[in-house]
Amino acid sequence: MAQSFPYTYYACDCFDSNTTTSTKRASQVVAAAAATEDEEQTFDPQNPRSNYALYPLEHLLYCEDCQQIRCPRCVLEETLNWYCPSCLFEVPSSVVKSDGNRCTRNCFNCPICISPLVVNLLENADADQGTPDRHILICPYCHWSTLETGVEFEKHTGVYAQLARIANGGKHIPTSKERDKERERRKELEARQRDSKNPLSPSSETAAVETEAREPPSRDDLFSNLAAFYKSQLEAQTPANPFSPGEMNFSSPSAYSRIMNLYSTNTAKKQKRVKPTPMREAASELEGLVIYDPASDSAAIERIKRDGWNSTLSPTQKLAQTNPHLQFADELRPIPTLLCTKRSKRCRSCRHILSKPESKITSTRYKIKLLALNHIPRLSIRALPPTNPPIPSIPGGSTASQPQPFNYNTLRSGIPTHFLLHLSNPLFDPIRVTLATSSTTPGKVQSRVTILCPQFDVGANTDVWDDALSSSPAPMARRSTINAETGQIEAGKIWDKGRNWTSVAIEVVPGFLADLKNVSGEEDGLDEDDDLLEIPIFVRLEFEADVHAEERGLSDSRGSKAERESREQAFWTVVGAGRIAGR
Amino acid sequence: MATGSERKPPASLSRSTRGTTPRLADLGESPRTPRTPLLRSISSTFGSPGGSFRTEDEYLVIELGSRFVRGGFPGESAPRCTLSFGPDEQRRVGDYRPCEPEYVHKRRKTKRAQAWAHEYELYRTDLSRVDLGLVEDKFERAMREAYAKYFLLDTKPRRILLAMPPRMPHPLMSTVLDVLFTSFQTPSITLVSNPVLVAAAAGLRSALVVDIGWAETVVTAVCEYREVLERRSVRAGKLLSEEMASLLNAQLDRDAAPGATKADVSFEEADEVLTRVGWCKSVPRSNRRTLYFPAREAPVLEEFEDAVESPPPTITIPFPKHTPPTELSVPFASLAKPTENALFAPELTLSEFDDEDLPLHHLIYRALVQLPIDVRRLCMARIVITGGVSNLPGLKARILKEVEALAQTKGWDPVKSYGKASARREDKLRNQCEDREMRKQEGEDTVAPSLDPNTAPNQIPPAAFQQPEEDAIDNKFAQLAVRNGPPPASLVGGTIRGVETLGAWAGASLVAQQRIKGIVEIERDRYLRDGLQGATREKEVSVVAQRQSMGPGLAVKGGERASWTLGVWA
Ligand SMILES: [Zn+2]
Ligand SMILES: [Zn+2]
Ligand SMILES: [Zn+2]
Ligand SMILES: [Zn+2]
Repeated sequence: MAQSFPYTYYACDCFDSNTTTSTKRASQVVAAAAATEDEEQTFDPQNPRSNYALYPLEHLLYCEDCQQIRCPRCVLEETLNWYCPSCLFEVPSSVVKSDGNRCTRNCFNCPICISPLVVNLLENADADQGTPDRHILICPYCHWSTLETGVEFEKHTGVYAQLARIANGGKHIPTSKERDKERERRKELEARQRDSKNPLSPSSETAAVETEAREPPSRDDLFSNLAAFYKSQLEAQTPANPFSPGEMNFSSPSAYSRIMNLYSTNTAKKQKRVKPTPMREAASELEGLVIYDPASDSAAIERIKRDGWNSTLSPTQKLAQTNPHLQFADELRPIPTLLCTKRSKRCRSCRHILSKPESKITSTRYKIKLLALNHIPRLSIRALPPTNPPIPSIPGGSTASQPQPFNYNTLRSGIPTHFLLHLSNPLFDPIRVTLATSSTTPGKVQSRVTILCPQFDVGANTDVWDDALSSSPAPMARRSTINAETGQIEAGKIWDKGRNWTSVAIEVVPGFLADLKNVSGEEDGLDEDDDLLEIPIFVRLEFEADVHAEERGLSDSRGSKAERESREQAFWTVVGAGRIAGR
Repeated sequence: MATGSERKPPASLSRSTRGTTPRLADLGESPRTPRTPLLRSISSTFGSPGGSFRTEDEYLVIELGSRFVRGGFPGESAPRCTLSFGPDEQRRVGDYRPCEPEYVHKRRKTKRAQAWAHEYELYRTDLSRVDLGLVEDKFERAMREAYAKYFLLDTKPRRILLAMPPRMPHPLMSTVLDVLFTSFQTPSITLVSNPVLVAAAAGLRSALVVDIGWAETVVTAVCEYREVLERRSVRAGKLLSEEMASLLNAQLDRDAAPGATKADVSFEEADEVLTRVGWCKSVPRSNRRTLYFPAREAPVLEEFEDAVESPPPTITIPFPKHTPPTELSVPFASLAKPTENALFAPELTLSEFDDEDLPLHHLIYRALVQLPIDVRRLCMARIVITGGVSNLPGLKARILKEVEALAQTKGWDPVKSYGKASARREDKLRNQCEDREMRKQEGEDTVAPSLDPNTAPNQIPPAAFQQPEEDAIDNKFAQLAVRNGPPPASLVGGTIRGVETLGAWAGASLVAQQRIKGIVEIERDRYLRDGLQGATREKEVSVVAQRQSMGPGLAVKGGERASWTLGVWA
């Protein structure tokens, strides 16, 4: 798609052949019901699902045991180690989770534009009078800084730990222990106030009096209040709890009788308890109950009216925050850098390791990496300039002489255009290739496609030396030519051939965009990428290989007298030949 | 109010129109609320005794929404990630178009012949328009990102607590479970429904949960952690963003040079405007019948409405993707209109609505009316408004006020038409309201407001209209409560009151942290063998033998179960 033209994608069919559940996947059942009787449907690159099945060859692995392509969806991953991509510090697995999977040193990203933030020393005019230095985090790209949210640091190191204690505006953030202590203190206070008053007066009234001076609780406060409340409620329950909900009679004419029942049993037993036993709901803010207060909303409305668009945050900026429930720019926090991992990958069906990086953080090398490009022929497409003088006999020299580069972005509707499909073989055995495609491309803009030589052989990936030593050029007769008068290319013959590669011609007549516009009656009836000329090509390979050649190592597979077996491999590819020009 | 055009209620409810209030048991029989039968079969098969706590189990908490998936760890107040399903998330590997510098200046072409913002959805419940394979692809990719980028787990298997809307179609459920069991190898998945979690995250056991989501608003009455009634309306986020888009288009066209092509803002633009500067008038328009407001309040409202600022405030919104890029100045007041039209539809009369597109206040009121009186008493004082749209400033206040106004005019009698008598009845109601208002303002209330619904501050307690004997119960109840029961604040009922919640994800995080076991727990092996068909036909399982319990919908982890069930999703 947005890769530059021309390009090739390979389809991994792992999810069509998925049989992990004995009952068929729900998605397949429905798809099967909808599908028509023809089994082999052309792969449709316009189908939104294709985006999840197509990969560039470089992204694919290969399982030698299963003899199949493995895409990111059909591998299992195991984390080997965790590190910060910014400071390359390796984080022990024991603290990864508690640190929120984020770097706890000085690595932060800008909450506005996600560039890495840097620590800056604020100018300190009174340094000689003993005023301590002050530091801030600042974005070198968009110049956002923690000054805008009223946060400064005493030291230039350990910024994460400092930030964890400073709220925007400079206030102190309580730790969870401090939070628990404060909650207990306030609860006791509340209880004392309640005791000293008329027993019928509600606790909410006193609570209200007390909370008026306070800031509204943060989400974190509320969450920890709720958690503490549920914990205490569950602890107060005993196995012999007589009020197990199973005994609640919901079908009774009135839930009142149930509740009354509940309490009368309780009193009848005359059990003296410190805590009320039946699970109840939260009764105050300290237990996590917050009655809706329209004041904060009206304040927000006034604020939007006053400060306008730029005081608010985009959805992306909100979601990047550790706490996404915020609305205004002054609530932003620097984003601690997310940790990265090094992961090994296993084949999902046979569990063999397909790739394993070196554990050293700074190394980008792999101990094991079974790339598909070592096992799967590389198919590529490029344009064959339309009015070419008879092809020079030296392979590869044809296009280099062309002065003007072919413009893949302006393919012309209705004009037959020739491309070359180039197939190179990474295997040590020669392969027989069959290419198949439907005569018109799927989708709204139907282009006619003809592969002029759908079946051909590709030589083995022998040593370059062998090639040089036994160089007898392939017979010219097998190659195709362009008829100088008609511009037609002879069908049934390959275009060109080398040691381990072969190219064949493909003729494409790009479809018309204009028809669509008329049909839809709209000025522009096309979707994004409808004008793309993408050709699905089914590739089938047949070759003879040594049995278990891989196990003995690829290097000695050639001279071996071992048993041979015939193998077959087939997969869909999608080649992007260009974009059809409008009008 | 609307009468003749009202759809006929189901049999069990129409019985109530003869004067009796519907009870929970009635709801159980109703074909329209088949999900939670209240006459549970208490079968000993399922309550396996004892069993050790599996404290070593670690959980992941995942909330599934139609446009977002949230994931994180138990005991944390916010999810580690909130992943969306925009077109940029659906590109091929190696398609780096969003990284190109000119990408920010291009408005994406939206697919023709597709519903508004269709490509931003993970799923929709109308299965005839869903490609389940695509849902699987999208969900799988999002979960892969969550695991690889945000969870960063070691190899230990993690159980999953999955928060999901109730009444999810089974094919969709299987699609999601397939992915979690096969691609992520989770040993078990506990399903808990969103309304129960939303209530739990508000500290409540019973609540009227109003979830203003993307495709629809779902009002669910939860009683003791159990869904007892549910009503839906399509007046929700999708409609709202469409309204916002048409407002912006109109404004852009008005400013455009003559002959310019018609503005066509994308979903992204409309959504951003909505979440940044969208709002809702917290006070209904003053052209309502005075009956909605007690006489003494009305003048204040008029003043509020008439306080016209000059010049009228505007908001400047940048449109970098518009051709040509522009900045649009929109009157601040008009940014509240989409909310008005999409959620409250004040221009239309009640008879113009179907059951599927009731304005939110009517939806809530109707749900409350249909509740048994005792459940209603609890629920009306525990209205929990949640969902993506609920964050619009002013919206919660507005909903609560509208519902209260409806309750005042209509009372809680399920009989909707009084025929000729109705005018007289409204008069009577108004007199009652004014009386109460008078008494309140003269400081007559000496009894604690939260205990006596008749004198609750600023609130008219319509629930008490028909059953004055409740007061006696309440008083006795209160006395008992003060002596040895829960604090009185946790028993408040009978007045319209909104309660804040931390949302379904936080609820799920709390539940998983306390190791509370859900009713619906699915083991991997069983699921892979039998699929959803492996669930027993029982809709609920007794939790009597569970060691500790929070309620029928939730139970503290007990032993293994011999069989499993789909609970509300059955
Ligand atoms: Zn695959
Ligand atoms: Zn770092
Ligand atoms: Zn920045
Ligand atoms: Zn394998």
